[in-house]
Amino acid sequence: MRRAVHAGSTVALFLLLCLPGCRRNEPEFRPGVLTVAQEQQSSWVRNFHPFLPMGVARWPTSAGIYEPLMIFNRINGEYVPWLATGYSWSGGADRVTFTIRDGVRWSDGTPFSAEDVVFTFDLLKKKPALDTGGIWKFLESVQLDGQGRVVMRFQRPYSPGLMTLAHLPIVPARVWREIEDPVTFSNPNPVATGPFTEVRHFGNQVWEIGRNPHYWQKGQPKVEALRFPAFPTNEQVTLALIHGEVDWAGSFIPAIDRIFVGRDPEHHGYWFPLVAGSIYLYPSQRVPAFRDVRVRKALSLAIDREMVIRVALYNYTKPAEPAGLSDGYAKWRHPGFGPGDGWVHYDPKAAEKLLDEAGLKRQGEGGMRSGPDGNPLELEISVIAGWSDWVRACQVMARTLRAVGIDAKVKAYDFTGWFQKVQRGEFDLTMGWTDDGPTPYHVFRGIMATETVLPFGEASYANWHRFGNDEADKLLHRFERTVDGNEQREIAWRLQEIFLAEAPAIPIFLNPSWGQYNTKRFVGWPTAGNPYARLSPNHPPETLLVMTGLKPAPATEAVRDNQ
Amino acid sequence: MSRLVEYLLRRLGFYALAAWVAITLNFLIPRLMPGDPAQIMFARFKGEMNPVAIAALRETFGLTDAPMWMQYLSYLEHLFRGDMGISVSYFPEPVVNVIATGLSWSIFLAGTALIISFLLGTALGALAAWRRGGLLDSVAPPLLSLLGAFPYFWMAMLALFLFGFGLGWFPLWHAYPEGTSPGLNLPFLAGALYHAALPAATIVIASLGGWMLAMRNTMVGVLGSDYITYARARGLSPRRVLIRYAARNALLPNITGFGMAFGFVLGGALLTEIIFSYPGQGYLLIQAVRAQDYPLMQGLFLTITLAVLGANWLVDIVTLMLDPRTRR
Repeated sequence: MRRAVHAGSTVALFLLLCLPGCRRNEPEFRPGVLTVAQEQQSSWVRNFHPFLPMGVARWPTSAGIYEPLMIFNRINGEYVPWLATGYSWSGGADRVTFTIRDGVRWSDGTPFSAEDVVFTFDLLKKKPALDTGGIWKFLESVQLDGQGRVVMRFQRPYSPGLMTLAHLPIVPARVWREIEDPVTFSNPNPVATGPFTEVRHFGNQVWEIGRNPHYWQKGQPKVEALRFPAFPTNEQVTLALIHGEVDWAGSFIPAIDRIFVGRDPEHHGYWFPLVAGSIYLYPSQRVPAFRDVRVRKALSLAIDREMVIRVALYNYTKPAEPAGLSDGYAKWRHPGFGPGDGWVHYDPKAAEKLLDEAGLKRQGEGGMRSGPDGNPLELEISVIAGWSDWVRACQVMARTLRAVGIDAKVKAYDFTGWFQKVQRGEFDLTMGWTDDGPTPYHVFRGIMATETVLPFGEASYANWHRFGNDEADKLLHRFERTVDGNEQREIAWRLQEIFLAEAPAIPIFLNPSWGQYNTKRFVGWPTAGNPYARLSPNHPPETLLVMTGLKPAPATEAVRDNQ
Repeated sequence: MSRLVEYLLRRLGFYALAAWVAITLNFLIPRLMPGDPAQIMFARFKGEMNPVAIAALRETFGLTDAPMWMQYLSYLEHLFRGDMGISVSYFPEPVVNVIATGLSWSIFLAGTALIISFLLGTALGALAAWRRGGLLDSVAPPLLSLLGAFPYFWMAMLALFLFGFGLGWFPLWHAYPEGTSPGLNLPFLAGALYHAALPAATIVIASLGGWMLAMRNTMVGVLGSDYITYARARGLSPRRVLIRYAARNALLPNITGFGMAFGFVLGGALLTEIIFSYPGQGYLLIQAVRAQDYPLMQGLFLTITLAVLGANWLVDIVTLMLDPRTRR
């Protein structure tokens, strides 16, 4: 009996404890606090080091807490002046001068100046471990030039280097000079110029950063604080979005119109602009059959891109353009190429004809084709396990390839294993991204420049398929030496002609930039109707444009005024 | 008595040997995996890095091309100083701090669920065997086996969706309410219990059947032995026969299982932690493997291994108390 009483009191105690919390778990909101889900973590580690990659330092350290000189806006293809008010080239493409903005202050109230900019670049020179963008590979010196100007001299003319320089977060010399080891400094209390600098709370599950009291843009930011709950995977973020707890996210959600927008069509929205780059199928030059341009073109003609997009990507995107350039490079596209030109479309008959010509004979009626040497041709499409949209896309492609007699099977690898194989060129076919930049220079350099071709077995950051073209090399070098937009455009057209003739890689679809928003508490989100930046929080430093474009929704403001 | 001490010391020696083997495997296994942590780290920059920068970063991470045996020696030396190195994926945070963000929560959630499941399952098993063919015995085992056979992932998602999202009875994520500060205060403790209720319940439901069936089956065997018949014949109270005579003996296999389960629970509460966004070791382990974060992987494996060894040592002592035969 005594035991029963004891058990009963335990239950009563538990109920008593949990009753206050047992009301429906509606999310609680404080006005002006915007909840973001960008990183996927189960618990937070306090780190605001601006030169460490995304995922190591907390988002938005590199663009939000710290700020760059300029922001390349992928939507309109232009640089937005930020800590610098402008830039100018001189001496061809071997010197760039940034004019540094006046009246900017650090979050501790001290003035920001051009000396901080010079200090930051010199810091990376002294500590190569921080120079993850490889700035000092082409930079010669960074010097002050009198009236708030900073001159950056290059070792050789290199116009594509501009974005890397413009996007480097600038740190305060006064603070960082005192730090013993800037490489292993986790920077728990950042002093910065960005809109959000004051860490108000840091717990292992939720952390919060408040606005910079000395921000240089008058009246900005209109958001009082950013709040970050830890969610380990996409599923939890999706649930939080549907539940209305998260205001801003950048995740992949299947059937988003039904699952997310349908829950609250008035407030829930998304925008997936197709400006990031294209997704390609890379045929490795290691496979003898792929050294024949006819075979590469035939592979492309055999792929039903519409079906890939419908089955694997919920129609979030569209098929690639003839030269593979995404909408972000619209103004660089060759005016002579229209839809249906070249080999980036579905035409299985033409594919079969090309394969026959290339000597890839079918083994018997309706059988699979053999290689040019007569041996059976068995190919593997490597893909990352768990990237479900990509895995499905590869399965669809394998099916359409088999229809023209190419024996292709999909094999999924863990990211690490996949990436190692791919970087070493040790694959047959793989889906992958390209190098990205403000101009198509980086795209084509990574696809067909001889200098990016490393031996098989050596890890390469780009040109995984090992394709080089001498003509493209010359054009790319010309591109590096010029800052003239018209000349660059002409070179880009010539590169696209080579791409069309050589088919070094097979563009499949445009890569969407995932972004979701909720207008219940904040408005001013970038959308197709108001495209001032990419909505997705995954692309710093463009995120700064969004952070300073948002404001509390009228209703919330009214509530605050009433209080 | 001296025999007992000798026995305990022998066991301790065995555990020391097991710990050494675990520590060594812990060093070897990550290094046998394909891939290079430096490369994975650089991959995140998605750019062409300066070779000088790569060399500098490798050095900072403590990645050397030194011969294996030298790496092994310095690994042992650091370990004895309690230094598990710097995590690569949470650079520059020391592994010890990274593990600290989740370890206590993992132990709290998984440990509580395991103890509840063990106690409840064992008690139910004993009762079911005692009243063989009764209501409990005919309903509970098939029902619990059925629940245990559901894929855990699916069941936990369903629970989260139904009780968290649909009915709104339980929190959807995290281990304690926002706005409370961890420590000995009522709102935090109550909130932590409330947050743990749903995830712990799913673990209990999934594992209860195993404990119950194991206990029931051993108990049935024990109840058939002569000394139970003798105990009853002596007119001892049924309760005394059930607990002191039958259950005490039938408990032994389950106790051994408890030591094993503790290890599985520490590493295996992974799905629970991910589904309920609960801070813990499980997600860290995945993160470490993905990023080829050797130091973090080693730290986590070591924590789990030591926990299992510790739990087994405790189990040894408990067995010693319950079963006089082991003392010989």
